Amino acid sequence: MILMIKTDVLVVGSGPAGSSAAKHAAIGGADVILMDKKAEIGAPKRCAEGVSKNGLKRVGVEPNPSWVTRELDGVRLVAPDGTDVWLTNDKIEIPEAGYILERKVFDKYMAMDAAREGAKIFIKTQAKGVRKDGDGFIVTCEKMGELFEIKCKILIAADGPESHIARWAGLKTSTKAKDMESGIQYEMCNVKLKDRNVIEFYFGSVAPGGYVWIFPKEDDIANVGLAVLPNVAEKPAIEYLDDFVANCDSLQEAQPVEMNVGGDPVGGIHKKIYADNLLVVGDAAGQVNPLTGGGIISGMTGGLHAGKVAAKAIEEKDYSEKRLKEYDTNLRDAIGDEMKKYLKVKDYLLSLNDKELNSVANAFQDIEFEKANTEELVKNLIKVSPKAVLKLGKLF
Amino acid sequence: MMIIKDWCSYCGACAGVCPKNCIEVKETSLVFDEDECSEKCDICIKTCPLHALEKQ
Repeated sequence: MILMIKTDVLVVGSGPAGSSAAKHAAIGGADVILMDKKAEIGAPKRCAEGVSKNGLKRVGVEPNPSWVTRELDGVRLVAPDGTDVWLTNDKIEIPEAGYILERKVFDKYMAMDAAREGAKIFIKTQAKGVRKDGDGFIVTCEKMGELFEIKCKILIAADGPESHIARWAGLKTSTKAKDMESGIQYEMCNVKLKDRNVIEFYFGSVAPGGYVWIFPKEDDIANVGLAVLPNVAEKPAIEYLDDFVANCDSLQEAQPVEMNVGGDPVGGIHKKIYADNLLVVGDAAGQVNPLTGGGIISGMTGGLHAGKVAAKAIEEKDYSEKRLKEYDTNLRDAIGDEMKKYLKVKDYLLSLNDKELNSVANAFQDIEFEKANTEELVKNLIKVSPKAVLKLGKLF
Repeated sequence: MMIIKDWCSYCGACAGVCPKNCIEVKETSLVFDEDECSEKCDICIKTCPLHALEKQ
């Protein structure tokens, strides 16, 4: 006889989205289990660790010195020929300014937040399968060789870009190759940046279908990484990164202390992210800014809304698709429009070759930016590029 | 048979793009459901950031 544990809400995956869902479901009074397959929540990181200050505020998280490694003053955008555009807060307002986090600390902190609200945490526990059972789901789990089952009224799938859970439960949450960024990163020291409080982005054939980032952390440390789209890349992501590191002036003395890899779903929020007894959040739901690939805040926004709706549904004893639709509505009200807009901008950027990117960067030299945010950048892109007017003019 | 190189870092990018949902990603191992995997597509191989997958 296999052991069966019962709970109101089961969250699979303890990244920021899953932990947010667990926390808010627990605050709302539900019995919550939060499980993760790893021995250490947050490690290894699969992330460049950038997050916007306003975004954190919106999901109700106070910045904590234990996981903020650097506060940022601006952005440097670099075209293929080296022409760069500096957007820094000594000259302009930066409403989307942010932090670089230490995800290994941040993710644990978020899981602890959930635990302190009453969620139970199972680590080193892998979901092996999902089956419908009356008005709920039974998830088969394995913990260090031992099989057991968890029966829940509401299952929250927060299992990352793999998104097994929602697919087992019947939703179409796989990611097409053209929408899955293949990412790789070194955390390096001895990184010599012109301004250590500015994040850098490099565009063009250095990273087909994506971009290179240098995100400074404490002292001389930085996350140096890139992502490429498999359908346009000609070689594995790691080869692009090794080429970039070899050729970038700032990295000639840099030494890696960590290598990180991961897939990043940038095709926009999946069409269907709820069903009877089921909610999908975070990367598993495609809750990633398609332009930047950033998914911490959007995933936590998903987690927050899913957790709140789950708690209300538990209280009302109604776990039907109809009841849970409120999650979808709230989530799309919060981030749906911007995700759609950024998807179009990403498609436009992907259509530019190195020469066109150089000419945009050149044209940007003569523009006085008022703010440094994505919206302002795109507005100015429309000013300098006839192609952008056609594709994006109506959106911004 | 899919060969999983020992530098695989279990990031799960392959599993996310697998149209058959047949790659299980554990903390330190990758398991292909060989019955499900048709090996007719090479989406997982192309998506791997580290070139850690290869068809035999």
